[in-house]
Amino acid sequence: MSCSDHTLLHSQSENGHDIAVDIERSELYCCSCSDQVYDLDFDKVVVAKNIVDMPSKTRDSVVDDLMRRSSKRRRLNSVVDLDLIRSKFFVWMRGRRAKSCYPLGLRGLNNLGSTCFMNSILQALLHAPPFRNYFLSERHDRETCRKRSSDQSCLACDIGVIFSAVYSGDRTPYSPAQFLYSWWQHSANLASYEQQDAHEFFISVLDAIHEREGKERNPNKDNGDCQCIAHRVFSGMLRSDLTCTTCGFTSTTYDPCVDISLNMDTSSFSSVDVANKSVRPNEDTGRSTLLACLDLFTRPERLGSDQKLYCQNCQEKRDTLKQMSIKRLPLVLSLHIKRFEHSSLRRTSRKIDWHLQFPFSLDMTPYLSPSIVRNRFGNRIFGFESDEADISAEFEIFAVVTHSGMLDSGHYVTYLRLQNQWYKCDDAWITEVDERIVRASQCYMIFYVQRMLYYKANEDLSCAPMPSRRDPFVPIAGCC
Amino acid sequence: MWIPKQWRAMAGLLSMSVPNEDNMSPHMQLSSHFFGDLLDSIIVDVASECHRVARLGLDRNLEEEEEELRLSAQARVTVANPSNSGETNGKYVVDIFGQTHPCVANEVFDCMNCGRPIVAGRFAPHLEKCMGKGRKARSKATRSSTAAQNRYSRGSPVSASSPYSNSTSTNRLLNGTYSHTVEEYSNGTCEGP
Repeated sequence: MSCSDHTLLHSQSENGHDIAVDIERSELYCCSCSDQVYDLDFDKVVVAKNIVDMPSKTRDSVVDDLMRRSSKRRRLNSVVDLDLIRSKFFVWMRGRRAKSCYPLGLRGLNNLGSTCFMNSILQALLHAPPFRNYFLSERHDRETCRKRSSDQSCLACDIGVIFSAVYSGDRTPYSPAQFLYSWWQHSANLASYEQQDAHEFFISVLDAIHEREGKERNPNKDNGDCQCIAHRVFSGMLRSDLTCTTCGFTSTTYDPCVDISLNMDTSSFSSVDVANKSVRPNEDTGRSTLLACLDLFTRPERLGSDQKLYCQNCQEKRDTLKQMSIKRLPLVLSLHIKRFEHSSLRRTSRKIDWHLQFPFSLDMTPYLSPSIVRNRFGNRIFGFESDEADISAEFEIFAVVTHSGMLDSGHYVTYLRLQNQWYKCDDAWITEVDERIVRASQCYMIFYVQRMLYYKANEDLSCAPMPSRRDPFVPIAGCC
Repeated sequence: MWIPKQWRAMAGLLSMSVPNEDNMSPHMQLSSHFFGDLLDSIIVDVASECHRVARLGLDRNLEEEEEELRLSAQARVTVANPSNSGETNGKYVVDIFGQTHPCVANEVFDCMNCGRPIVAGRFAPHLEKCMGKGRKARSKATRSSTAAQNRYSRGSPVSASSPYSNSTSTNRLLNGTYSHTVEEYSNGTCEGP
């Protein structure tokens, strides 16, 4: 311990005494570098000391969490799907046309009567790279599926049919009628012909695929690591930390999810403003961005006093702090923007139709569990299980589903990015649009894919002449 | 407390309100000194945290983020400008393959439930009646087995949202109702989704 004058003198007079410690902040200072420096061992000691001061049960859980160097490397989905990518699956039998032709898989979908909610999601699924690769290489075998289930419809089979049709090279709009029929058979509660929500449809389709494939591929009933294509492509893992505000004890749970629903940050509104629709401070002050929504999602939330949770350490109900973070990212990240606002005062709901800025390149690192938890401990360096992420956190956008209109009536349109060109898919009409149109649009669901898969997908999408009616795809391992 | 020379200089620059010490009573000098120390401490707290984040590479790529924001703002300005035609009404254009389409899809195919030929654009409302409108007319056996599967299947896809948000039944953005549009389609105008 010394005062500032002596610190510098001491390092000058005594050799090798260059490091000083800021006791208040637990930081190291190097007199030779004249700068604050960082050391793994020092940070470990600091964090350990913090833990020691916690009650014993808390300490155990925190130690487990932070200090364990897990050698358990999960066999990640990305590894499995790399096989799919490596075993390239299309070979075009004829020569290529000029570069000005359009990418594969671009085909309008007929509106069968208020079915734009379905068409918009189908377009996104048709161009989700790992999902597309799976169905185009016929990994879901329709023959055996039909034999196994005789009468019952299989949504995965029907999706396979749509993939074949859309990627066949025929450009006249396709009517996904059989698919609609199958879907209504599966989702009895949604089988009425009225207004439908695209996000609900999305969840319902993945659920249907999981039900069918899940049984076949998970004979051990291991639901934690489902190998159905829906989960392999879309499923990630969320981490939820509940911290007792009295003793600091934190309990952590993990839940799988196929998408993330994000609230828009409406906090700086007063109810008067909402009523008058006069002010939009968030939109104007730049808080109306996707990153702001993700910040909100991972922000520690103080649960209300009517939501006290039982703390194992204190042995009674306490005020709790909740914080979400992402434990494992999926291959395809689906973000759903909750554009509805409920006013308990007036018992009404309305759609928030502000513009929400969203990036084309997205880095999810700040929202991963290591980043969030590390931040809670002042960004100390310490070991964290699977810290060097096997799955990259960098994503590229490939589809945006937009909604225009009112809460209970409106229209869905999907924008697709293929080979760096944006296309607007408005039911049967496919047109090229400038990226600025997309940036200015009102997003409802945004689909990102891992950057590596995006670049790979762009390579695969070569255009080709229309083959004849017979199946144009020849699965071949190796290069295409 | 010791503070690196550079930071002390920065603190000095920032705390512009440091009063002239010569005219102050010893009392005031002392309180001013304490205030100075507190202010220094707060500034160093922030500087130290930022330094740690920057040095350990934990900061976000602000340049990229700002570029995205800039592009977005620019895009909105461009699109809002009426002289930029931007998008035309989707239903009247020629698509990229050189095709035009009627507002109501006119492909005809056989209904897989009853076998009758149906116009594509009217298929969904037909199917609803054909299968029996939604919940009411569907056969009980099919309905209950599907419902049971949905209720008891663990590991089925879960949509993640805060459990404290409102119930999902009202959190839906819907597309238009059918009943208006069928009648209006016959005028040849394209209305509704």
